[in-house]
Amino acid sequence: MLKRHLLKAAVGAALLVTTAFSAHAADDALARIKAAGVMKVGTETAFAPFDFIDAGTHSGLNVDFFAELGKDLGVKIEWVELPWDGVFPALEAGKFDFVAGPATITKARLERFKMTAPIAEATVAILKKAGDTLITKPEDIAGKAVGAGKATAQLAQLQEYSATLPTKVTAREYVSFNDAYADLAAGRIVAVANSLPNIAFVAKQRAGVFEVVTPAFGKKSYFGFIGKKDADSASLVEYVNSEVIKMKKDGRLAKLQEKWFGTTFDTPDEVKEPAF
Amino acid sequence: MTFKLFTLLLQAAVSTIGISLVSIAIGFVIAILLSAATLSGKTIYSAPARLFVSFFRGVPLLVQLLLIYTLLPAIGLNVPSIVAAIIGLSLCTAAYQAENLRGGFSSVPKGLIEAAEVTGFNPLQIFARIQVPIALRLTLPTLVNESIMILKASSLVSVVGIIELTKMAQDLASSTYQPIPIFLSAGLVYFVICSTIALLGRYAERSMARTSA
Repeated sequence: MLKRHLLKAAVGAALLVTTAFSAHAADDALARIKAAGVMKVGTETAFAPFDFIDAGTHSGLNVDFFAELGKDLGVKIEWVELPWDGVFPALEAGKFDFVAGPATITKARLERFKMTAPIAEATVAILKKAGDTLITKPEDIAGKAVGAGKATAQLAQLQEYSATLPTKVTAREYVSFNDAYADLAAGRIVAVANSLPNIAFVAKQRAGVFEVVTPAFGKKSYFGFIGKKDADSASLVEYVNSEVIKMKKDGRLAKLQEKWFGTTFDTPDEVKEPAF
Repeated sequence: MTFKLFTLLLQAAVSTIGISLVSIAIGFVIAILLSAATLSGKTIYSAPARLFVSFFRGVPLLVQLLLIYTLLPAIGLNVPSIVAAIIGLSLCTAAYQAENLRGGFSSVPKGLIEAAEVTGFNPLQIFARIQVPIALRLTLPTLVNESIMILKASSLVSVVGIIELTKMAQDLASSTYQPIPIFLSAGLVYFVICSTIALLGRYAERSMARTSA
């Protein structure tokens, strides 16, 4: 008798728990973030000046942007820092709500994810050792060893560009761009292919060690933040996107660009047809 | 390298030590159960235990961590980074510790157990009062060894988003452009922690030898 009562109680409790959970799941990602008061953002901290550890402090344009977004939305931002090749699998596994990165807006990524309006230009150029006279224009990397980050759009662009050269480039893949810069300084590679804002920052930080080779060799492209494509994330992606547009209009984005890149970019409100 | 950078490394070392110690302790408890299951002589207990051990010894810890981090959410268990890291390290070290303990338990003289049975000890008492203390003493050196291995292997948990000593060193090295002093300091910190574990282990061995004499 007692057993049966216990069983009933257990079933009842289980039902309660399930309904509570399904009621919860009926809301979407944005509602859950508001309810929890915390938005989890995944990123990689080896992508200065967007995202890096400045002598122990997580900083960069991402940190400033999401701090503003958190203020507007009234939530706390919680960062999850992973190696770049682990960021997208973790987003799909639901470890965080959004990806900062940022990532180059590409056709392949738009097929799988939703990307916000551009926050900066991402066109790829070459970083060389200061005073290297053998490389004065992008074509000069033909037949040489050039580094880029693993699982990045910059690497993909380098490989695409390499195929157009008379002799192919030996593309070296690194866990992060920081490792590639270190190998460039050590002379193991002759150049690093990365987006202009990034290498301009590195060249400025380490003047006399690195130098940017102009013009950029890559197709014109842009950086955006990344969310999931499912219905659950739709309103969240829409919100972050509207924040980008809002900050662009009220001048906050330009101020951030000025702060981190020393220049501002003219970016479109939407990238419908990425160049690659 | 400034004092501030060094204190940052020390802060990260605290997470390295914390995660490792918790994992070694959890792993030890699981390992006792696993080795008991393996030695039970009953296939329903020993077969799953053996499977567990061969899986966690046979798959790289890095792969285990990534699996726990990204696979568990697929079955509705979305654990935070720190929990994923501790689960990964605990299960991995449990497999190794279980094998060490199995060796220890097998070395408990049969005569002692028979004597205990004759004097009326029940199986649980025999396990807790005779087998475990003897096996522990026999396997203490390998436990210390395993603890040192786990402490160093904990550098892998940065792939699931934990900032420990190695990751902090990498971050600082790339933002300050001073890799040599920073990695040297990180190496030194690891060395000091591991040496301390080794010293504590030797001290424990000696005091155990004294109490049993």
